[in-house]
Amino acid sequence: MQEQYDVIVIGAGVVGSAIARELSRYRLRIAVLEKNLDVCNETSGRNSAVVHGGFANPVGSLKARFCVSGNKMMDKLAAELDFPFKRCGKVLVGNTPADMEQLQRTMEQGAINGMDGLELVDEARLHELVPAVVGKFAMWSKNSGIMDPFLYTIALAENAHANGVSYFFDHEVTGIHRETDVYVLQTGKGDFRTRWVVNAAGLGCKRISDMLGITGYRVVGSRSNYIILHKRMGRLLPMPVYPVPNNVYMGIHVTPTVDGNVTVGPDAENTDKLDDYTVPQKNIEELAASGTVLWPHIHKKDQIRTFAGIQPKLVDENGTVQDYKIEIRDDIAPQAVNLVGIESPGLTASVPIAQYVVELMREREAFAENPAFNPCRKGIVRFADCTPAEQARLIASDQDYGELVCGCEGVTKAELLAAIHNPLGVVTMTGIKYRTRAMMGGCQGGFCQMKIEQMIEQELGCRPQEVCYSRKGSWVLTGNMRGEA
Amino acid sequence: MERKEVVIIGGGPAGLAAAVELHKQGVRDMVILEREDRLGGILRQCIHDGFGLGRFGESLSGPEYAQAFIDEVQARGIPYETGAAVLELTCDRKVTAATRSGLRQYEAKAVVLAMGCKERSRGSLGIPGERPSGVFTAGSAQAYMNLYNRMPGREVVILGSGDIGMIMARRLTLEGAHVQAVFELLPHPSGLPRNIVQCLDDYDIPLYLSHTVTEIHGRTRLTGVTVAEVDVDRRPIPGTEQEYTCDTLILSVGLIPENQLLEGAGIVIDPRTNGAAVDEALQTSVPGIFSAGNVLHVHDLVDFVSLEAETLARSVAAYVAGTPPVPCNLAVEAGRGVGHTVPQRVSGTADFTLSLRVTGHYRDCRLVVRQDGREVVSKRMKKAIPAEMVQLAVKAGNLRRIGALEVSVE
Amino acid sequence: MKKQYTCIICPNGCEIEAEWDNGKILSVVGHTCPKGEQYVRQELTAPKRTIASSILVENGVLPLASVRLTAPIPKEMIFPVMEQIRQITLRAPVKAGTVVCRHVCGLESDVVVTKNVEERKQEE
Repeated sequence: MQEQYDVIVIGAGVVGSAIARELSRYRLRIAVLEKNLDVCNETSGRNSAVVHGGFANPVGSLKARFCVSGNKMMDKLAAELDFPFKRCGKVLVGNTPADMEQLQRTMEQGAINGMDGLELVDEARLHELVPAVVGKFAMWSKNSGIMDPFLYTIALAENAHANGVSYFFDHEVTGIHRETDVYVLQTGKGDFRTRWVVNAAGLGCKRISDMLGITGYRVVGSRSNYIILHKRMGRLLPMPVYPVPNNVYMGIHVTPTVDGNVTVGPDAENTDKLDDYTVPQKNIEELAASGTVLWPHIHKKDQIRTFAGIQPKLVDENGTVQDYKIEIRDDIAPQAVNLVGIESPGLTASVPIAQYVVELMREREAFAENPAFNPCRKGIVRFADCTPAEQARLIASDQDYGELVCGCEGVTKAELLAAIHNPLGVVTMTGIKYRTRAMMGGCQGGFCQMKIEQMIEQELGCRPQEVCYSRKGSWVLTGNMRGEA
Repeated sequence: MERKEVVIIGGGPAGLAAAVELHKQGVRDMVILEREDRLGGILRQCIHDGFGLGRFGESLSGPEYAQAFIDEVQARGIPYETGAAVLELTCDRKVTAATRSGLRQYEAKAVVLAMGCKERSRGSLGIPGERPSGVFTAGSAQAYMNLYNRMPGREVVILGSGDIGMIMARRLTLEGAHVQAVFELLPHPSGLPRNIVQCLDDYDIPLYLSHTVTEIHGRTRLTGVTVAEVDVDRRPIPGTEQEYTCDTLILSVGLIPENQLLEGAGIVIDPRTNGAAVDEALQTSVPGIFSAGNVLHVHDLVDFVSLEAETLARSVAAYVAGTPPVPCNLAVEAGRGVGHTVPQRVSGTADFTLSLRVTGHYRDCRLVVRQDGREVVSKRMKKAIPAEMVQLAVKAGNLRRIGALEVSVE
Repeated sequence: MKKQYTCIICPNGCEIEAEWDNGKILSVVGHTCPKGEQYVRQELTAPKRTIASSILVENGVLPLASVRLTAPIPKEMIFPVMEQIRQITLRAPVKAGTVVCRHVCGLESDVVVTKNVEERKQEE
């Protein structure tokens, strides 16, 4: 148990996973401690899933810098890591002269931030881009895009794991102290010793920062609700449609997902409850009403589910949102990288953030390169996305590809087996759902969840009552109905 | 690509009855494609009795009702393939299915849609609150218990008074769970009166009408729900909220035809039924593609599903035999008090059975079919309720060749 | 005294009204078939129900075989009968129609299997 690590990353969100992967380029013993049972369980997975263009962030900010560079490297990352990413562009839609002024300011800011592909378009062009949109003109950002944040984070983490990083789920850090040159991280499952520690705890950033002795930050939760619409609606929306933004808030937008659904959101309100994902009725209705102003195809009958996300925002004493804080406080907590207030555009910016973290570390210590580092990782082949010829080949190679388990999303037994035996050892129902899309379709698992639960039991040799839905304690069944419990 | 006269998608009650009747009509070159590893469809998990009173004159369980048709399919040597999930259906009746032994591609003269229906899920209801485990649709809880030998929970609240929800209230109670109550948003039950008696009253399970779940609690497993009374517009009435401590919420809030394949073939969907819009031959907007059973409109009784599938089979047999189609240009519209009708259009030259559901509770009412205001046929009913499908026989002799039909409750 | 009943014999769910006095049935109205009247008379004297459940199957392609009763039983016997059903275990193959418990709990009703469960082949 007393194995000592070179680096421990706290948090397996998108940023923690990106940091783990960047660190795995070096010969280091690395571990990631995550309190949840899977990666991407909090802020990283609960957002609009948009690859941003960096035009909405203040000039000179880390947010702008990392967002622009993250956007530019996304094709390469997607090729290396095999996750869904579409550079579909997006439009910011306006109607009034004031909107036009704001869009022009946004364009200028984007240009200074280093983003290209920004263009003002008139109503006719706007309607060519997005047929049903409501607006007089728009700023079109050709290089914005959409991605799958779960599969992206899973890809980063699996690649980090393949390059030697150890993952520990259900390991919440409850205390940190320093013994000579080593940090001791306490968890409910024993202590972890490490020379370096990285605070990538997302919503828990202030708590970990305080444990490191770096106190005084004000972090507020900004809570957002979303509606997800049925896949048939995605065909009507080729790219995200936003209202005119300001530097603080992007506004309620409608966004296609890489899988063809549409999300409507986010509203934003501050909260102290950082783990409350309740979606209130009032907000669902207001979202639909606001979204309809931009895009008229939001109907209750097409809503398949709702979700909420919370972003950690670093604020000053007036409540004004601050830039990312990424620091090593040699005076207070040497060999600890402290990341505070990593919020949007964190998904886009994740790898540049990680590279910056590693730079800060390498300024203080020389890391030897890991000659075995392999940047590439293959995801689970999606039967539903294959051509009939490919599908026939897949079935010929493995009969389990011929057995459809989730009919709505076309997910086969082979894909589910691969997900159950995922490299990170995640065994929750939602873990399998995010890795395969099973249970995400029209019936929301009504027909297939029993089969998937059964497969988990059989493959992992566990009892029915041990199968978890998502978080620890989220048991699915009480046990057998007949025979042994 | 293999040519077939008829490809039947779905081996549940509709598909099985269609196959048997097609065989009786002389059709031999057909195949049933079933995505599960055995025939029978959803009846496999409906182990309660009450099926088949109309057809067999006795009260059978779901598996027995299905087995009677399966036996007949096997006795007649009708080809079927289980574990065959249809991936695509095109408007020119090409069917692609995945099986463990490879992709199957058929080019059919006629395609029978018999895929049944699915349940409305929590997501489509948009119940606010957390997303803990312990929220099941009634059908998935039924599958866990009756097919997989698994218990979904101990302390149960049920939202929705659909038949499967009430049947699961009894089933859970018999297996030792405690069902606290059933809440129904509407001012009237959604399921059949007999199920209120034998599934709820018998076990002292209260049914609260005009109530709904307004919030779901619990971050890991469900810990409880908030329930409130609703007003006439189905909006929760502030101040009426009550908390129920429970680990399981069962949803029985409606069924929707499994219409995913329809979109790919460009079949016109009736937004009222969520199934295909069909003519009196049960033919969809795409020539040669026919639909019957719960994929067409949600039925209350399986006996009606079988009957409808047999009607379909007779028109499919005529179609593949080359009988020229009769143009069906008379629209059938749902008037006052009627939610939907099947078929949605008719020729006016053939007798047909009109299936419909009323939208409210009516006593001593009359269902009337009018053409351009002229009464064509009517049916007196002591009571008509939304839970029960109503059927009316319409004779061609009473119809004119032009003019839309309207069905209403008077 | 008068009491309303919803008949459960068939899906029609007839609403039947019975009037009785001193344990003697005076009238039954509202039923549309003789079974309805019979049902209400039974309800007034000794209500009966049938139940369906499942029994464990060893070595079968399915873990359970569904069962039902061949005749209604007194309502108060439902849970004792369930307890009996819970105790039954069969070995595959199981055929629908097999009576697995004759005169369950000494009643005029049998527990009968309603689903075929084939034997699981060794090492699929």
